[in-house]
Amino acid sequence: MTTTGKSRSTPLYEFHRTHGKMVEFAGYEMPIWYTSTMEEHMAVRNHAGIFDVSHMGRVDVTGPDAARFIENLFPTGIGKQPIGKSVYTLLLNESAGIVDDLIVLKVDEGKYLLVVNAASKEKDLRHMERIGSGLNFKIDDITEATTMIAVQGPSAVEALQPLTPLPLAEMKRFTHAFSTVKGIRAVVTRTGYTGEDGFEIIVHDAASGAIAVWEALLKGATPCALGSRDSLRLEAGLPLYGSDMDEATNPLEADLGWVISKDKKSYVGSQRLASLMQQGPARIRRGIIMDERIPRRDFKVTDKAGEEIGVVTSGTFSPVLKRGIAMGYVKTPSPQLGETVEVVVRDAPSNGKIAKLPFYDDSLYGWKRKPHQQ
Amino acid sequence: MSNPSPYQVPDGLFYTKEHEWARVTGGTAKVGITDYAAKTLNDIVYLTLPSTGKEVKQLSSFGTVESIKAVSELYAPLSGTVTSTNQELTNHPELINQSPYEAGWIIELKPSMLEEEKKTLLSPRQYEEFLKSLDAGHQN
Repeated sequence: MTTTGKSRSTPLYEFHRTHGKMVEFAGYEMPIWYTSTMEEHMAVRNHAGIFDVSHMGRVDVTGPDAARFIENLFPTGIGKQPIGKSVYTLLLNESAGIVDDLIVLKVDEGKYLLVVNAASKEKDLRHMERIGSGLNFKIDDITEATTMIAVQGPSAVEALQPLTPLPLAEMKRFTHAFSTVKGIRAVVTRTGYTGEDGFEIIVHDAASGAIAVWEALLKGATPCALGSRDSLRLEAGLPLYGSDMDEATNPLEADLGWVISKDKKSYVGSQRLASLMQQGPARIRRGIIMDERIPRRDFKVTDKAGEEIGVVTSGTFSPVLKRGIAMGYVKTPSPQLGETVEVVVRDAPSNGKIAKLPFYDDSLYGWKRKPHQQ
Repeated sequence: MSNPSPYQVPDGLFYTKEHEWARVTGGTAKVGITDYAAKTLNDIVYLTLPSTGKEVKQLSSFGTVESIKAVSELYAPLSGTVTSTNQELTNHPELINQSPYEAGWIIELKPSMLEEEKKTLLSPRQYEEFLKSLDAGHQN
C-alpha cells in the first residue's frame, strides 16, 4: 500500500539508483535504462542480460483444496502437468475476460507458485479469494521476502552456471527446479519475456544475498532495464498485460487460444469461452511491420482502401530489424500475413505489412536460433 | 554556489524552453536539440523532418524526433524558411546523441523575423537556470 504516496523499491534499488535512469513503474522506483535501451536490447540478443523483475508478484498457493482450486481457476490444464513444469496461463473472469497473464510453477501436487504482473497483483489476489471462497487453501504473498532476476540471452547458461549447482543446460524450457544460487535457496525456471533462452530466478533473500547474486551475475551479463524489457518482448511478439490485453479482451482475440485446455470442460469463464469459440473472435491480435515511421499505441490501422480495421496497442522501433513494429488488433477476417495495411501516423497513413510473430528471423535470434552463427 | 550542470550548454547559441538551440551566422540559423533533450530521449532512432522550402513559425512544430520508446515534437526557435536538413541523420540519427550541437544539427533555416524573435529566446545562462528549475526536486 502506498498510503504515503511514496514509491516502493526492490532489494536492488541502490544499484539501479547509482547506475540507471529512474522512473516510476507499477508503484516501484525502477530503472528505464542503464546505458541505453538499444545497447541493452542488443546485449540480450547477442550475449546475455539481467533484469531485476522483483516488482512482479509472487504468491504460493497450498492446501488440501489447492489443486481443485487451481484447476478451476485457469483455462489451462495444470493437474495433468508433471511436477516441475512452469505453465504460462491466463486468469479469466466469468465473461472470459483476461484478468492477468502469469506463470504457474507446479511445485508439487497441491503446491503452486504463481508469478503475476506487478500492477495486477492486488486485483489477482482479490479475484482468487472470491473464486476460491469456501475452499480450504492458503495464499502466501512472498513478493517482499524474495528477489526475482531474469537472465536472458544465448549466453544465459554460461552467465548463471557459475552461481548454481543445477545442470542448467539440461533443463527443459518451461520447467523449474529448486536449488541454490550463490548458496541461497532459490527456484530457477527456464522461462522469460524476451524470446531468448534464459532463466528467471527467485531468490529467498530480499537484502544483501540478493545483491550478491546480482553482482555475481554482472560478471557474465549486461544489466538491462525496463526500456529494453519492453522492446525485447515486443520484438518477440509477446503481449503485455494492460497494453495488449485487459479485462475487455478474451483469449481468442488475444491469439492465446492455445492456453485453453482441450479436455477441461468447466473452469472460470468456460461457458463464455465455449460460445466465443463457436462464433469466432470479432477481432484478433496481429503483428505489423512498418516500411517507414514508427507505430505507437492508439494509432489507427486501416486497410489499403483507407477503411479503419483496427488499432495499435503496442509499438516501438525494433533494434534488430531497424524498423517500426507494432502489435494491435484488427477486425476479422484479418488481413493475411504479408498483406499491406496502413498505420495512421500523425494524420498520414504509413505503409506496413501484417507480420509473423516473433518479428525476427528465429533461425538467427531467439531461443530457437541455430547455434553459434559466426 | 551552484553545482555545474551535467548538461552541455555551449555559449554563442540561443535556446528555447522546448530544448531547441539556434546558431545564427550571417543570415542563416542552424537548429537542433540540446544535450538535455538528447540525454532525456537517449536512443534517438528516427526523425521526421520538413522539406526544404517549408515555412516554419516560431514555437510551432516542424517535425519529430523519436527514441525507441517516445516521440518528441521539434519546435522552431525562429520563424523562417527551411533551407536544408541534415541528411546524415537519416542513417545515423544517433549523431544527435553523440554531438547534439555540431554533427547532430537538424535543420538550417533563413530567419524571417530574427531581430524581434531573438529577444524571446533564452541566453545560455538563462537556459541553464531553466534546466536547474526542472531538475530541482528530482532525485538523480
